[in-house]
Amino acid sequence: MTNEVRAFEDRLAERGVSRRDFLKFCGSVAAMLGLSEAMVPQIAAAVEAAAASKLTPAVWLDGGLCTGCTESTAQSTNPDVAGIVLDILSMNYMETIMYATGDVAEAALKKTVEDFKGKFIMVYEGSVMTGFEGNALRVAGKPGLEQIKEVAPNAAAIIAVGSCAVDGGWVKSEPNLVGAMGISEYLKQENIKTPVINLPTCPVNPEWIVAMVIDVLLLGKLENGEILKELDEFGRPKLIFGQTIHDNCPRRGHFENGEFVYKFGSAEEVKGYCLYAVGCKGPQTYTNCPIVRWNNQASWCVESGSPCIGCGDFNWVDENAPFLGRTRRIGIGMAKNGAGYNPGSVAAVAGGVVAGALVVHGFGMAAAGRIGEGPATEEMKDYDKKRMKKGGDK
Amino acid sequence: MADKFVLDPITRIEGHLRVECEVTDGKISNAWVSGTLFRGMETVMKGRAPSDAFYIAQRICGVCPISHGHASTMSAESAMGITIPNGARIVRNIIEAAQYLHSHILWFYTLAALDYIDPAKALSANIADTYALAEKAGTTSSDFAGVQKRLKALVDGGNLSIFSGLLGPDGWSGHPAYAKDMPAELVLIAVAHYLEALEMQAEATRVIAVMGGKFPHFMTSIPGGTAWMPTEEKLDDVLFRLLKVKAFVDNTMIPDTLAIAPFYKAALGFGGGHGNFLAWGVFNDPSMEGSKRYLPQGALFAGSLAPVDTSPDKIKEDVSHAWFNQADTGLNPASGKTEPVWTDYNLDKQYTWAKAPRYDGKPMEAGPLSRMLVAYVRGVEPVKAIVDKALAALGTNDPTVLVSLLGRVAARNLESAVVAEWSIEWCNELIAALKGGDVKFFEEKTPDKGAGAGLWEAPRGALGHWMTIESGRIAEYQVCTPSTWNMGGRSDDGTPGVMEQALIGTPVADVTKPLEAARIARSFDP
Repeated sequence: MTNEVRAFEDRLAERGVSRRDFLKFCGSVAAMLGLSEAMVPQIAAAVEAAAASKLTPAVWLDGGLCTGCTESTAQSTNPDVAGIVLDILSMNYMETIMYATGDVAEAALKKTVEDFKGKFIMVYEGSVMTGFEGNALRVAGKPGLEQIKEVAPNAAAIIAVGSCAVDGGWVKSEPNLVGAMGISEYLKQENIKTPVINLPTCPVNPEWIVAMVIDVLLLGKLENGEILKELDEFGRPKLIFGQTIHDNCPRRGHFENGEFVYKFGSAEEVKGYCLYAVGCKGPQTYTNCPIVRWNNQASWCVESGSPCIGCGDFNWVDENAPFLGRTRRIGIGMAKNGAGYNPGSVAAVAGGVVAGALVVHGFGMAAAGRIGEGPATEEMKDYDKKRMKKGGDK
Repeated sequence: MADKFVLDPITRIEGHLRVECEVTDGKISNAWVSGTLFRGMETVMKGRAPSDAFYIAQRICGVCPISHGHASTMSAESAMGITIPNGARIVRNIIEAAQYLHSHILWFYTLAALDYIDPAKALSANIADTYALAEKAGTTSSDFAGVQKRLKALVDGGNLSIFSGLLGPDGWSGHPAYAKDMPAELVLIAVAHYLEALEMQAEATRVIAVMGGKFPHFMTSIPGGTAWMPTEEKLDDVLFRLLKVKAFVDNTMIPDTLAIAPFYKAALGFGGGHGNFLAWGVFNDPSMEGSKRYLPQGALFAGSLAPVDTSPDKIKEDVSHAWFNQADTGLNPASGKTEPVWTDYNLDKQYTWAKAPRYDGKPMEAGPLSRMLVAYVRGVEPVKAIVDKALAALGTNDPTVLVSLLGRVAARNLESAVVAEWSIEWCNELIAALKGGDVKFFEEKTPDKGAGAGLWEAPRGALGHWMTIESGRIAEYQVCTPSTWNMGGRSDDGTPGVMEQALIGTPVADVTKPLEAARIARSFDP
């Protein structure tokens, strides 16, 4: 055992984490990143080496935010192993938890940018607020945009956490008086070329941040450029955001059987039936929530009895509201020509009778990909492609 | 000639805040507090389905989304004429309680404690003495040697991470406002508990995850009741987690508070501000009446301890110092408007994105201190007992001393103990209700029009949402948050806001390091 490994094991022990727990954790990260089990020792070695060497400097900038993504990240802490991974980042600037305040805090930010030019990670939370000449958000007596312009070009990479940072989130929804937009769109406008990794949902799930820290920093995929291949055209890690909630939903069997919850607080909910009929956006929302779950795997939205509201979707509020009344598109089992199986008029009034009828007509099976041409791999929805062309989300 | 200082950004809070002060003869003589972010939640609501408001409105605040969700859903229910079933009432109380516990633990240890304990001092603590002191203080022990070692490694590594700004010539370690006579061993205890608190605040949020899907931003308290259906297994999970959090509050957080507070008795002498307090009340009993809530509604004026019943009709929101259409000043939220107009940062004119709500023309403090004082003077029992115990620890029996910085800090921690106790009670109540066949959790009604308000309490204070429904859609929506009550700026007549007034009179030892002002700001959990 090298000294590095021994020092790391001491740190694990201090947090009450066994070697076995640690390897189990590495296994779950491998699964999330789509790596084979053979990679587990490599991940473990990378975490050990990083934990023993110098910390990677990082700064966490707050945009037009509710602080929910910081809060969410704070739920993934010691003695959990994830805490150790997050410790690998030296958070030199993070308004919500840092010791320093005012000028001293700003100095810490400036120093990190100067000392670690091109080497630090910038995390961005909240919408970019361009409205009122950038005064919808003021930081240190200036428009918040100034802070982005000073920091972003010097970062090695930017992790946009939460839907607001990705595309403006709810803040961007109509009427958007404040000029909210995602960080990618803003950087494009300012011709800043730092790579951005987008982690949507409202708030972000800390499991994804942890996975990215390992993927980007520890496995060296930022340096060798491989990370870019792992992102989809919206800058999202494909392995996390490549499948719909519906694809992995534990209630999926009930969907296929035509067993739906039609009313909250009903016997059907106690039985854990499918929430599609009360508006679940699982079929169109690309995240792995059913697998990683939330708050240290305590539960997740659908398990608690609520339909998914699609908070990981683009422009999620405008596109998905009313949350309980309709589904925009079901989009499963898309044909190869991309026409899709989208019973728009049906979904628009999805109620008990109609949803039942879907099953009678074999739609449930088609949707599940058991008949016809089989399941198309869902790289991207037609809807999203159109939206991109329209220039809505960049 | 007054000295000046600016704190911007104020860190360790939710959101964005700027404080600007003048100091004369070592005391703050004038203060301006600026909310520096405007997102426009109220404008986003218009035209949407009433049931959507619950999901969207929570996103105002990632620290108190449960309270915003509840106030929003209550405004919809009030507009629609829905009374939720008893089971849903209890479920909501438990979820709300879990958020209070999460929020208060996070606030005290992660956000505020560093203003009272100088973490660098923990390095010189003697480990054996630390165990002895923990025992004497009646607080829990930890692996104190391990924590000290970790802290030392952090300092020796030269990369202080979130503690940058602590050491060095510009660092705030050794600041004269830190209690000099506080033993290093007590500091080490607090640092160890700072780390444990991270796990405990997370445990509290797992209760919300089980009952609400996730935290922040939960899913189940939709208008009509709750989408969550309890089972024996889920309730066991909830109860187990709440008991764990309660044990931390009772055995660690309260003894820590009582051990640290005596070193800051001077803080009973300033930071009280106007001395006006407002509480809408929180945690419903079976009657669902505002006046009968576990923590009841009420207002107190100018330090008097005679409670007055509240009415939301008496609110007016001034905007003459905020970046909104100046024609909209003095409106009641039921007919309020949100029309942003950016001008410039000018202390004589407009300097904040926060409206300045006034009750009966007066600036009112919102928060745990308001709730605890109102409950105390209304004779709510577990509140009275624990407040009296804390007063005794400070060597007094006069509750008016709580109208101060220390009182505000203590009230939040004492409230945690009360809420933790009730949360267990509600779990048992829910189990009994289920056994008795009370299994209704949702009541549906969707009228096309109506108007209503949801008056509730976030952990940080009085919160109201107002909704008007026309043709089945939201026609008007207004929110009045505890942060606008507390950190809103001057009223039209120039009266300073609540936090502004609390800052005035606060001693500042070194204007280049105004730790004392940051303390006042953070004491409101803004």
